Amino acid sequence: MVNVSRGNWPMDQGQRKLVKFLERHLGLLPVTQEGNDVNKLAIVFYSLESLSALDELVCKKYHPYKSWLLKHYTTWVDADGRELGGFVGSLNLVIPGVNSLSLANTLFALVCLLTLCESYEEFENTVAPLRKPIIKFIKCCQLKSNGAFVSVLNYQSSEPSPVDHHDLRFCYIAVSILYLLGDRSISDFQRHINVGKLMEYIMAQRCDVGGFGEFGEPHAGYTSCALSALKLLGQLDQLPNTYKEETIFWLLSRQTSGEGCEFLQEGKNENYDALDHGGFQGRENKFADTCYVFWCLNSLQCLTPEWTQFTRTDLARSFLQSRTQNSVVGGFSKNDEDDPDLYHTCLAIAGLRLTEGKFNGELCIPLALSDKFRL
Amino acid sequence: MTDCYDEFNLEDYADVEPLPIVTGLKDELCQIMYSEEYKQLMGLMRAFLSSNELTPRAMRLTARVIAVAPAFYTAWNYRFNIVVAIAKDRLDQEFQWLDEVTLNNPKNYQIWSYRQALVENLGQDLTLRGDLPIMDMMLDDDTKNYHVWSYRKWAVLHFKDFTHELSFVDKLIDRDVYNNSAWNHRMFYMKNVSPDDRTIDEEITYTKNKIELVPQNISSWNYLRGLYDHFKPETGHKGELLKFAGGFIDALDLNATADSAESLPEIESSYALEFLASEYATEGQLQRAKNAYQCLALKYDPIRGSFWNYKITTLEA
Repeated sequence: MVNVSRGNWPMDQGQRKLVKFLERHLGLLPVTQEGNDVNKLAIVFYSLESLSALDELVCKKYHPYKSWLLKHYTTWVDADGRELGGFVGSLNLVIPGVNSLSLANTLFALVCLLTLCESYEEFENTVAPLRKPIIKFIKCCQLKSNGAFVSVLNYQSSEPSPVDHHDLRFCYIAVSILYLLGDRSISDFQRHINVGKLMEYIMAQRCDVGGFGEFGEPHAGYTSCALSALKLLGQLDQLPNTYKEETIFWLLSRQTSGEGCEFLQEGKNENYDALDHGGFQGRENKFADTCYVFWCLNSLQCLTPEWTQFTRTDLARSFLQSRTQNSVVGGFSKNDEDDPDLYHTCLAIAGLRLTEGKFNGELCIPLALSDKFRL
Repeated sequence: MTDCYDEFNLEDYADVEPLPIVTGLKDELCQIMYSEEYKQLMGLMRAFLSSNELTPRAMRLTARVIAVAPAFYTAWNYRFNIVVAIAKDRLDQEFQWLDEVTLNNPKNYQIWSYRQALVENLGQDLTLRGDLPIMDMMLDDDTKNYHVWSYRKWAVLHFKDFTHELSFVDKLIDRDVYNNSAWNHRMFYMKNVSPDDRTIDEEITYTKNKIELVPQNISSWNYLRGLYDHFKPETGHKGELLKFAGGFIDALDLNATADSAESLPEIESSYALEFLASEYATEGQLQRAKNAYQCLALKYDPIRGSFWNYKITTLEA
């Protein structure tokens, strides 16, 4: 029913197109990108990370931009004289007297620095002066009420922003930054954030059928954030075994199938397409979507070293390569219909590299980088 | 001075010295070809944020900036502070404005945390009724929007008002019986209203009817199993569920070991079979459980074949 090709990805021509697609995003951007100006570092991160995962010599080629990247680091001194530091998404957010530090953009910037630094020593020397202020910023992002993290503080103080969301994404980002800055053991983390409260919050996001999500509806993206954070914290063994098994089964069940009984949904379930065979969905009864290949497979690799035996990674790869990869302009789209975009391109490359054993899933960086920087 | 909710007019800012945005740097990545309007707006916005002016014209500026760059988190935060300072007795108008932004940016999640901040901090006199039209409209348009469902659950808990929820999910399940978010909301409702035994029995009947409509539906099966796990955990109740599940695989003989997909009959639901397999495994009917897993691997759910085979090995251990 479905042609399963074990292509040698990346194929030369496809890779060239991909590289061009990514490099285009680092160049001059059209006026339609104005809305993304405030999160410009996200664009830089998705592009550099992808290029680096494609074995492009990012470090050499883009090293001259390192000082521009570092200009996005800014500090805020609060009323008690504490200096908080972090990155902003765009230089336009560096405004006198305004705290616009962003947790997500801080992670994006640090990973970009990994791709640009030539050696472990260079990275260490670059982040050494930033370490303490960033850690103070992260500490301020944790909510006292439930242990979760927000991503920005009030623009006039070091309190969490009253209008920001708190969720598992920002919990993961906080943990990941601390890990990149050197925290390894639980006592390292404990010195900087309230790990007990964070664990309580993460555990409270568990869902009855397995997985993690808000108010009981599991979501593969949140699940990947929760499990990656637990892995970086060294706390995966806090999950009961039955819950791990349920979550593994929930994740395996997100691989969409055009065969067997699943095909009975054809023509009935408006979110089912048998041709999505081998892809992954983020929630029950949704279409397969490029990014969930990574979110689901990464969640699985956090839970069991045997994940490649339990799941058809070959089918997931052909879903990406034959169905959501755009052969004309390069890049990957969400599904077989949309135009390719940077986010789905980055996640597709991450998913493919993960299945090749060349990606550090919990840090969401190529294995070559985590090896190089002893992470 | 003109009002917070008037149209944005550049002339009101003639006396303000803008803080121009940064352009044309050496060795810059992702250089955006900003429009003149954007440069002007951001120049003003940066100046206002810096001076923290809490006035109607500052509020009008935030509306304009958010329309152009809805992801600008500091602009939302700034607007919130202005509302607290000068417009907290005009929440109706603020929600009207927010509804419009919401309809224009359905995938943005900032709108929902902004809404939550207004309700939590300023909305002492509000009720869930005020939130219903925009939530209903958004879910009508995108029935599985995760942010809206999350906000809805938060709001229902905040106002402690569950009166609209059951009829609402009824409607959505009637429209699409595969809507997992709607089934999930139904379970959220049940867990929060402490239903009596009769209500649970009616729920079971309702769900069985929906499963009979389309037996290959993970959402309704999860809901049915969830009802038993939560409200009827005593094992004595499981017998009727086993019988119900058996009805969808009745052509299949689980006492026989299958050796090829070709020899197996058609069944109506792999979820029914998986449920039976797990129940048999729990009850110690290991051979039947193994046969069921074997059938799933061979024919009914081959994509997860290696997992089903692994389940068989755990029964043999």
